[in-house]
Amino acid sequence: MIIVDDVYKRYQTKHGAGRWVLRGVSLTIPTKVNVGLVGRNGAGKSTLLGLIGGIDQPSKGRIERRCHVSWPMGRAGGLPGVLTGRQNAKFVCRIHGHEDALPDRLAFIQDFAELGEAFDEPIYTYSSGMKSRLQFALSLAFDFDVYIADESISAGDIAFQKKAKAAFDKLADHATLIMVSHGVGLLKQFCTAGIWLADGKAHWFDKLDDALKAYEESLPA
Amino acid sequence: MAATKTLRSPLDVTLSVWKALFLREAVNRISRERTAWVWLLAEPMIHIVFITFIFSFVRVRVVGGIDTAVWIIVGFLVFFMFRRPAQQGMTAVGANQALFSYRQVKPVDAVLVRVGLEGFLMLVVAIIVLIGAGLLGYAVVPADPLSVLAAVFGVWLIGLSFALAASVANELIPELGWLITQSLIPLYFASGIIFPITQIPQPYRDWLMINPLVHGLEVARLGFAPNYQALPETSIAYVYAYALAAIFFGLTLQIRFATRLAAR
Repeated sequence: MIIVDDVYKRYQTKHGAGRWVLRGVSLTIPTKVNVGLVGRNGAGKSTLLGLIGGIDQPSKGRIERRCHVSWPMGRAGGLPGVLTGRQNAKFVCRIHGHEDALPDRLAFIQDFAELGEAFDEPIYTYSSGMKSRLQFALSLAFDFDVYIADESISAGDIAFQKKAKAAFDKLADHATLIMVSHGVGLLKQFCTAGIWLADGKAHWFDKLDDALKAYEESLPA
Repeated sequence: MAATKTLRSPLDVTLSVWKALFLREAVNRISRERTAWVWLLAEPMIHIVFITFIFSFVRVRVVGGIDTAVWIIVGFLVFFMFRRPAQQGMTAVGANQALFSYRQVKPVDAVLVRVGLEGFLMLVVAIIVLIGAGLLGYAVVPADPLSVLAAVFGVWLIGLSFALAASVANELIPELGWLITQSLIPLYFASGIIFPITQIPQPYRDWLMINPLVHGLEVARLGFAPNYQALPETSIAYVYAYALAAIFFGLTLQIRFATRLAAR
């Protein structure tokens, strides 16, 4: 269960505080329910996912995670260019306490990301597709209760997308997904519940269709 | 993948983060630029050689009863034990910003690990320089290694306290960070590494003795050569008292601003 309690968020800019992106979001996301997050561009979808995934801190309010929550899958941070894919993968494994199973995890990541020999080359030589494949593989290498999926599922070429989708299918069996996508088909395929973000507030719907309907009705004709 | 559902204790998490960060920072520090490891060794050596050259030019052969070169070498090596951790640790939060996207990694971890790594590297550099100086015939075998270690560790702790506090300032108020960086320059002159504090008249000497680095350096020199005429006010207890108080202050800042440091 993830509890989001009256969360406000604005970003600091060089010229002082920016606008409020989230203004009092309160949600309780149960486990075992896949949730789709919808809203217009700039509504704060990625911000909210980032806060839930703990890659950023709310300006006000509180987020409580009573389970293992992944980081937003496409945004595995801190992959500095000078280190190789393997060195970065090792780092992520180590901070998650998988020192013992290091070779297994690395083999899995290398295999899934399909990087081949590039795994031992510095990240700055990677294409953006290779980079997102590595990030995607990194987040799949650990057992989280809740996976936070942003648009990352559409990373990579067609073959990789198929593979990613298959991985998601497998994940959906035993873990919870919180998903952002502008692809309605993808959301409908995985999610049962929905969250609609508008004007810095979040609205929970037990049925994804209702969330999509509310979202569509809010759009100017 | 194999299930690992047990929650790790906070200590476990922190230790694994420190290990991972240490290895990562070490690789980064040594291979960031092609000649990064050369500079690691060359920087203190250039300072030492340059200042020794100037002293020999003005024909000062003895300071406080010991060879000028030894006085300078020990002074610089101990001073760098403060300056390197302080400077590198100060920028650790900004440099590792991207890593805070992993909830396990806290800003204070980045500072602690970097200061630890710098201290370790400086220890290696110091040993290499001392061996080199020994081969050139200088008397650089410490008579009292334990008090040298106590001085070096105390000075490193002061570097740690500096990094803890300055990294917060540097992130939250960059202008203040700039000011703090500039303040390291007068410290270079006021710590008794390029001219002896004994030559400064009172009351200014007492003012300089507020600087704990002066005490640390004098204790280290005494450890190398017991016949060295150290400043009479020298006190190792002052170094540690200062370090503990300042570390407490630095950690308080780190805790107070932990979320603001990690947030973007």
